[in-house]
Amino acid sequence: MKGSNLLWRGVLILAILVISVVLAWPLDEKINLGLDLQGGMHLVLQVHTEDALRAETDSDMDRIVKLAEEEGTTGLQPRRTADATFEIAAPSPDALDKVANLAEEKRFTGRDGRWQVTGRGNGRIAFKMNDAEANLIRNSAVNQAKQTIDNRINAYGVAEPNIAVSDNYRIVVQLPGVDDAERVRNLIKSTAFLEFRIVESGPAPTRQELLAATGGRLPDNLEILEGDVVDPSGNDVGNQYYAVQKRRTVTGRDLKNARPSQGQFNRPIVQFMLTPTGSDAFGELTGNNIGRPMAIVLDGRVESVAVIRARITDEGIIEGDFTQQEVQDLATVLKSGALPAGITTLEERTVGPSLGRDSIEKGLLAGIVGTSLVVLYMLIIYNLSGLNAVAALALNVVLLFGGLAAFDATLTLPGIAGILLTIGMAVDANVLVFERIREELHAGRTIRSSIDQGFEKALSSIVDGNVTTLIAAAFLFQFGTGPIKGFAVTLFIGLTASMFTAVYVSRWLFDFVLSRWRIQRLSI
Amino acid sequence: MEILRNTNIDFMKYRKFWILVSLVLVLVGIFSVFVHGDLNVGVDFAGGTQMNLQFTKQPQVDRLRTVLDGAGLKEFTIQRFGDEDENEVMVRTRLAKGEEQGSRAKVEAALDRELNGDQAGKPDVNRIGADVLAGLLTRADPDRLGAAGAARYLQTAEKIVAQRSKAGLFKSWDQLAGLGGLSQAGLQTLQQSAALGHFAVLGVESVGPQIGEELRMQGFYAVLLSLVGMLIYIWVRFELRFGVGAIMACVHDVLVTLGLFALAGYEFNLTTIAAFLTLIGYSVNDTVVIFDRIRENMRKTRRKPLIDVMNESINQTLSRTLLTGGSTLLVLAALMWLGGDVIRGFAFVMLVGILVGTYSSIYVASPFALLWEDWFGSGARAQSAGRSTETPAPTKAG
Repeated sequence: MKGSNLLWRGVLILAILVISVVLAWPLDEKINLGLDLQGGMHLVLQVHTEDALRAETDSDMDRIVKLAEEEGTTGLQPRRTADATFEIAAPSPDALDKVANLAEEKRFTGRDGRWQVTGRGNGRIAFKMNDAEANLIRNSAVNQAKQTIDNRINAYGVAEPNIAVSDNYRIVVQLPGVDDAERVRNLIKSTAFLEFRIVESGPAPTRQELLAATGGRLPDNLEILEGDVVDPSGNDVGNQYYAVQKRRTVTGRDLKNARPSQGQFNRPIVQFMLTPTGSDAFGELTGNNIGRPMAIVLDGRVESVAVIRARITDEGIIEGDFTQQEVQDLATVLKSGALPAGITTLEERTVGPSLGRDSIEKGLLAGIVGTSLVVLYMLIIYNLSGLNAVAALALNVVLLFGGLAAFDATLTLPGIAGILLTIGMAVDANVLVFERIREELHAGRTIRSSIDQGFEKALSSIVDGNVTTLIAAAFLFQFGTGPIKGFAVTLFIGLTASMFTAVYVSRWLFDFVLSRWRIQRLSI
Repeated sequence: MEILRNTNIDFMKYRKFWILVSLVLVLVGIFSVFVHGDLNVGVDFAGGTQMNLQFTKQPQVDRLRTVLDGAGLKEFTIQRFGDEDENEVMVRTRLAKGEEQGSRAKVEAALDRELNGDQAGKPDVNRIGADVLAGLLTRADPDRLGAAGAARYLQTAEKIVAQRSKAGLFKSWDQLAGLGGLSQAGLQTLQQSAALGHFAVLGVESVGPQIGEELRMQGFYAVLLSLVGMLIYIWVRFELRFGVGAIMACVHDVLVTLGLFALAGYEFNLTTIAAFLTLIGYSVNDTVVIFDRIRENMRKTRRKPLIDVMNESINQTLSRTLLTGGSTLLVLAALMWLGGDVIRGFAFVMLVGILVGTYSSIYVASPFALLWEDWFGSGARAQSAGRSTETPAPTKAG
């Protein structure tokens, strides 16, 4: 080895070392900790996109019928048969023709229509939505749900939330350091579908009682909704029922703004403002029903009922059995808009900060003890050459953290185990080389030639052995989620770094020592 | 310190005996996992909810059982975890198909009814966030700070919540006194307007049956594809018979370790899959080093029978095999001993796996390569050696 060559290799190693340190220091700022270490919440939510599909189907179906009625065709009976199919029954063949022609004319069906006629006969005509169109609606429902959740989380104020759409109409929500898990869950999941309905009868303690009042059968334009019974001190003490009109003229979509406020006796309330179109509709609804009770319905439950005293247009209040915190959250969800479809939680992983801290402390302790043991072990087995391996190992750890920072990878609890494992396995490459050097020395070669041969002959084993583990790490990364991905990344970076340090750096250290001093006997 | 030097052990002599031993171990593993059903499958794969709870007082496990039974929860287990004086309990419930949402809410509601019945809808200081806590103080303004209060109380509330995060929960009101400058009057305000719940949820892992099924399939594919990937790699780099030997050793390691893992009763979860995949990598690595030497020696001495070359190569690499195993075992022992409950299952798999893997790379991989040769190979030593020289030679060190 020529002196200048040695120098340049040294400079390269130093440069890589410096780059790694710059990338990774200070550790607590540059290395992302996984939710399992810093505490936080991981949710996988299923968006029931069929809800959005049904709503869209209902709305088109109603529009067709309404258009037909406007043109004088009456007696039509529409019925949704599945998420994206419906049929309309008509009293006469003429009426059926009218519906079919109208659907085509108004571009529901035909070349640019989203519907196809799938059957006709027996006084019925059946429609089905194009698959492409249905997918579009599903996807937009998921994106809209993601946007809504985004808004709500931002309003609540979580540092560095990560909210992403994933396959199968799912949303993955990752929130580090949440201090009130229950509240965040409610904030995310509440559909926040607000409606104003005119109350026909009620409250009654049971459904049966309401039904009995209308002769055992509910008229088509009414439905029964549930609400809380609240005692004078504001506590929820049971359920009661209301018969309300099905017609919903004003909904949460018509809301312009909502904010928490205080009502009578300092009770927490939500104050809302309506959009211009919402104001018109609300004015019509309240103006036509003065003196009658109106229910404010949230997600299908009656929150409060008040008698309409006068025509109200652009603003109103929602009273109910709310705490200060609840009105704040209610205002947030109302402002962020309703979720376009229901969601269920398929997976939840919440780690309290105390558990995470515990994991870090234990991982750190195990790491220090484990590393010390390996260092001791190498020094005992390989004496001064062991020092070479330890230097390579130290550099390996620095590179590992540099790599984690460079790839913006996340350190997880399995990842800590991965680092430790890499430390244990990284010395493997050193062991392979050193054992080979010993063999060559025993065979009577000179120190120089033993070292050259040792590195040369061990190389193929080192590469073959590490590539197999890298294959395993790659599949882990591909199929793993969260913490496991963190482990795979750590293993991958660690093994790659260990190949570099054990082959290149360790070799350079030997060359450097041999070039500086006249070594009579290699301490190995 | 050099422990082994020029050993000359006839490893291959009793190869039939050792293959038999391995076969028995593998069968025991298969039996305990797949027939006897000893594997403790965690919520990741079985679907279920696991909650880590901490209580203000030492919980009575029997009482908890009755409470959860009363709440209509079926098939649950309750066990203590963590330090004795921390009052911590882990509850695990199974979820049937369709119960995707998990049973966290149910468990929490049941415990609330049982333990926090006296709170009458007051906010729970062991649960609420800093802003709500600050709101309580600001509204009552116990320290008469006026307009300056909001910011000051928020600071106090954040300190209180940070302390709660560290400890898990407050066991009594006394623990709040003086936190973040909370005055005596402030403490009294909280005692009046809020309550101190008797339990806290430290962590929840809930996996619906649908996701559990998906994770199961993903884990299965990850293991299967890794094995196939390695088989192909070794096939390309060496020869098919070596690939088969390495994979047999690897499957052996996985099954034996899995059997012991099941018998030890650790929970089988995602982290365990990661451990098994790493084990596969390690096991093949260990074997490949020996095969690499066999290939090298085959080129050097063409006339020697394969079995002798194998013995020679295993002896030459024996020291490395044991030394690497030793260093990895040291780290894993530290991890198992000090790494905490969550990581212990992982450490167990690797620890046992490396012992088994070291054994198998000596006693299983080469004998299997030899068996494969006996059954399917041409039997001609010269031919195989000739073939091996055709495989690309490893790149030389620069």
